[in-house]
Amino acid sequence: MKTIVIGAGLGGLLSAARLSKAGHEVEVFERLPITGGRFTNLSYKGFQLSSGAFHMLPNGTGGPLARLLREIGADVDIVRSEMTTIRVPLKKGNSDYVKGFKDISFNDFPSLLSYKDRMKIALLIVSTRKNHPAGSTLQAWIKSQVNDEWLIRFADSFCGWALSLKSDEVPVEEVFEIIENMYRFGGTGVPKGGCKGVIDALEAVILANGGKIHTGQEVSKILVENGKAAGVVAESNKHEADLVISNLGHAATVLLCGEALSGKADAGYLKMLETLQPSAGIKICLAADEPLVGHSGVLLTPYTRRINGINEVTQADPELAPPGKHLTMCHQYVAPENVKNLESEIEMGLVDIKEIFPGKRYEVLLIQSYHDEWPVNRAASGTDPGNETPFSGLYVVGDGAKGKGGIEVEGVALGVVSVMGKILS
Amino acid sequence: MKINDNCVGCGQCASFCKKGAIEVKGKARATDACVECGLCIPYCPVKAIEVTA
Repeated sequence: MKTIVIGAGLGGLLSAARLSKAGHEVEVFERLPITGGRFTNLSYKGFQLSSGAFHMLPNGTGGPLARLLREIGADVDIVRSEMTTIRVPLKKGNSDYVKGFKDISFNDFPSLLSYKDRMKIALLIVSTRKNHPAGSTLQAWIKSQVNDEWLIRFADSFCGWALSLKSDEVPVEEVFEIIENMYRFGGTGVPKGGCKGVIDALEAVILANGGKIHTGQEVSKILVENGKAAGVVAESNKHEADLVISNLGHAATVLLCGEALSGKADAGYLKMLETLQPSAGIKICLAADEPLVGHSGVLLTPYTRRINGINEVTQADPELAPPGKHLTMCHQYVAPENVKNLESEIEMGLVDIKEIFPGKRYEVLLIQSYHDEWPVNRAASGTDPGNETPFSGLYVVGDGAKGKGGIEVEGVALGVVSVMGKILS
Repeated sequence: MKINDNCVGCGQCASFCKKGAIEVKGKARATDACVECGLCIPYCPVKAIEVTA
């Protein structure tokens, strides 16, 4: 069985590694000179920044990605994060951190509610585990249950950090899948070596199983014969295959199929593609001599203008920065209408950071933004259209085809697991 | 080096530039330190960097 993978991002390499382990002859074609897509390291001034993701596995050692890596036999050491904290104003009623703040544990979020609302939340936590709410956005659902401004802020900072969306953009079903996965798999972890630690381990598996990875080779066409994927054209050379897996998202994948996709039967699929929205975000990377966050988990920041959450990856792996330095990464959601105002969005993020870390000394290393063709997610969480295409033997993996309830790379892993189930069963 | 509107500001080019000649804020911008070596071009994921004639 010969499988060609287009794109050496996380989804592509996970698929290639899993199939090479199952005995497929695997060949990966990557357009860029480097592998890893938006899940690898970028060396910058002695720091290991990332090309996209935050050097973090949202469900840590027990999550879908960690499980898949173990199944593949990829040698990745994942450091479990100690905690997730939320920064809140010292005095209830203050709307920012200027007059002081304190950090509370993630699980203590109800402590900021009135007694009556705390009781209500306690009951909801029990009742919603069996009967997940459905049919609205997270924000609309919260408002229908508890009228409290803090809960909306908390939901927005969590959705902003985890999904780069606002709570009024996320289907409540998706959030409850995420909560279920947090119960099931646990909290965050950091892979040793950052994102590239995972990518290197996957490549080692692919190469050990005789697979090939070509960088700097762009696929210009997916060959389709009788409604079935038959190979690709890369740099003018034809490569035949039994299966093609694309890591490019549905829209770009279909474009490579050209005239093969024209039948009336495909109209519904094409219409669905038009509704897909990528999510946008900004990452501000900080260098500091002293810890800014102080633990290896996430610090959520609901009382800012823009910054949703922060992690300090050197708490888990000091080698991601020069000796004695810390690398701290701040994420902010960008609303679709603000993608054209990125500079002012960044300015607001920088002011937020000053308020989050008053009196601390840090250097802004690099400011990275993601949208449109190189987004946070090709399909905003909760809108992923699955992994199938109108052609048999052609599957889409990656952040344009995530599984349900999977935050970022966990969703990528769930999507790959689903495709592997179809191919290997 | 000309950076076109495809640029999303991901900063990948800046990390591969040997001269530290790329600033990024929403979009990438080549500074006066750029020597037009073209090394960054293939690393751009959205084909935003063009050689100036």
